[in-house]
Amino acid sequence: MTLRGRHYVLFWLLVFLVVAGGVAMRQAVSVDLAKRLRVLREESTTLEARRADLERRIRAARSRGVLIPEAERLGLRLPADSQITVLPLTDGDRR
Amino acid sequence: MKRFSARILLLQVGFALAMGLVLLRAAQLQLVEGAEWARRAAAARTSRDTLPARRGTIYDRRGEPLAITQEFYHVGIAPNEATDARLGRLAARALGLPLPQLQRELRTRKWVYAYGPYTATQIAPIRNLKGVHPEGFYRRSRAGRGLAGPVVGQFAGDSGARPSGLERSLDALLTGQPGEAVYLRDQRGRRLESPQRRIREPVAGNDIWLTLDAELQDIAERALEDALRGMGAAGGDVIFLEPRSGEILAVASRQLGDDGRMTDEPTAFTTPFQPGSTAKLFTAAALLRLGRVDSTDRVSGEGGHYEMPLGDGVTFTIEDVHAEKEPLTLADAIRVSSNIAMAKFSTRLSDLEQFEALRDFGFGSPSGVEFPSESRGVLAPPERWTAFSKPSHAMGYELSVTALQLAAAYAAIANDGVLVTPTLVREVRGPDGRVLYRHRPEPVRRVMPGEVAATLRRYLRAVVSGEGGTGDKARVANFDLAGKTGTARRIVNGRYEPGGYRASFAALGPADDPQVVVVVTIDRPTKGSYYGGSVAAPVAKSMLEQALASRRIAIDRARLVKDTPPVTASPGRPRDGADDAGDADAPVQAFPWPALPARDSTPAPLQVPAVTGRDVRAAALALHRRGFRIELHGRGTVVRTDPAAGATAPAGSLVAVWTSE
Repeated sequence: MTLRGRHYVLFWLLVFLVVAGGVAMRQAVSVDLAKRLRVLREESTTLEARRADLERRIRAARSRGVLIPEAERLGLRLPADSQITVLPLTDGDRR
Repeated sequence: MKRFSARILLLQVGFALAMGLVLLRAAQLQLVEGAEWARRAAAARTSRDTLPARRGTIYDRRGEPLAITQEFYHVGIAPNEATDARLGRLAARALGLPLPQLQRELRTRKWVYAYGPYTATQIAPIRNLKGVHPEGFYRRSRAGRGLAGPVVGQFAGDSGARPSGLERSLDALLTGQPGEAVYLRDQRGRRLESPQRRIREPVAGNDIWLTLDAELQDIAERALEDALRGMGAAGGDVIFLEPRSGEILAVASRQLGDDGRMTDEPTAFTTPFQPGSTAKLFTAAALLRLGRVDSTDRVSGEGGHYEMPLGDGVTFTIEDVHAEKEPLTLADAIRVSSNIAMAKFSTRLSDLEQFEALRDFGFGSPSGVEFPSESRGVLAPPERWTAFSKPSHAMGYELSVTALQLAAAYAAIANDGVLVTPTLVREVRGPDGRVLYRHRPEPVRRVMPGEVAATLRRYLRAVVSGEGGTGDKARVANFDLAGKTGTARRIVNGRYEPGGYRASFAALGPADDPQVVVVVTIDRPTKGSYYGGSVAAPVAKSMLEQALASRRIAIDRARLVKDTPPVTASPGRPRDGADDAGDADAPVQAFPWPALPARDSTPAPLQVPAVTGRDVRAAALALHRRGFRIELHGRGTVVRTDPAAGATAPAGSLVAVWTSE
């Protein structure tokens, strides 16, 4: 079969359509990925903020400013120096 | 026909000209101005955004954040873009706005703006709804309950505040590198939903681990606050220092401001004071080092009152609080804090010897801590001394020191005679967690032989534990403290303030294996006693009691038990914050003290630093830090050294410095 002019036109049209379709598909995929990436970044930021907030609250709750008044309310107190006994460690304890 | 042809020709020429003009214009636009138009087209279609970089976090030594950068948001709402009918209700709840007011605004306005700022957690329920446009920004905030606020300092940022503290001095390390991204936008400039092209990723700043221990810092700040309130004092400082590494574990300061309110200006670094009797030890160190006093030498206590002859009929009246009739040894003079005995012993030193002893302990020079605007204190050169100066310096007068300098000098005694540069920075880590810098102890110079330091520690132990010692109120069971009290008159406008005193207590402990140096100063106590032993020493005791009772404080309890050998720290092992949290009783000394050269060993050669062109003080500091001693010829700017810069010489050897004057 001899290739005629319209076959060339059709061939190049197909090439164009494939390339354009490829470009459009890549764009669509990248837009979708970008959206997912953005959402993940936002989720990560939200979780980081949540973690920072929880850590802050934990630190505040275990701070001396909170614990000591609470302990005193319960009738507890800091030991005097003479009431602290430092126990010697054995080699096994150290390991 | 001829006329018709002429018209056709004219028309053709006209078209040709028009086409030619179009082609010319096209060529101009495409070839000559093409690049510019392409740039304009890109600018119209795209916008460049700077992506801010997160500033590094400042942590305490165990990983508790002290200053953090968090992302906050302002929120814009475009009602006409909204597709979810619940937007008003959800936004009102998330943003904490009154629902009726928000709904009214959403009905009547095209753009509703909630300034906030809001955290990511707060806006999470609405951030993905259509019509909601969060605007993120970074904001620096204090964490860690605001501990060590003045030391950490203030970040200027966008607020225009004056930068201060470590935020200022470590700014270059904390600041990240902003990134850049390109967005597509439509003809009206609105941003299109398109893949964001990040030209340059933002790089977060480095994180900095300080030497401070948040728990001990909390104890120090509260103890100082309570003490000042209880004593009606005008201010005070507390410092805890790890003597071998020079790491500052806690530093707290309070000072009464001009408006009558307490400020937390870091006076421990910035405001010098006359140390009084806490400085007696430094003259004692010189006397022992130079062999001018031995353990049997005694001088009379003169019954507590002495008219010291200074020549030419001039006398210096010296009083002691405790009238000592028996002759005193140097150890006794320290134990009972006798001004008279110290003044008498000081006559065995020349002015220059006493000056050099004080200078070698670091007085009159900045300690080298990373804090900006550190004071160097006041130590006059001997040529400006009067006949009164020698006994005055022996009693801790005529010189001014900061609490940090005093702590560093006591650390040298704890450290077998080696002065170490105090530091606030323990570690610097890159945004990827890689360790970029880890503090190693920086010995400045050997101030005295180890035997002299051990003798001084014995003297100091007697101050706290010995009979008649002035520091007995600091005695702590389980913790063999060795310290010295001080009570100095305050100077206001160049004159002694009547009835105004500064009480101080400097200590190290445990005496035979010091882990910590503590300095407490109380400025102008007005209720009860004003003596260092009664005012400052009990504050130190209270803090140490609390520290011993705490599971998280950086005190190695294993080393407090005398019948067990000390636990050896693993060399170079980083103290990761997460590891530390569950390892409260582990030894805190992460870095082994570099072995001091044995007497018979050859010191490793060091390279002489380039100091030409620098002033003498800066040059001396650089050479001392590198481990050299200095022989100075002249003053002013350094013109040459011998050995020359770049040459090697053994550590501790003498470098001659010639100057321009």
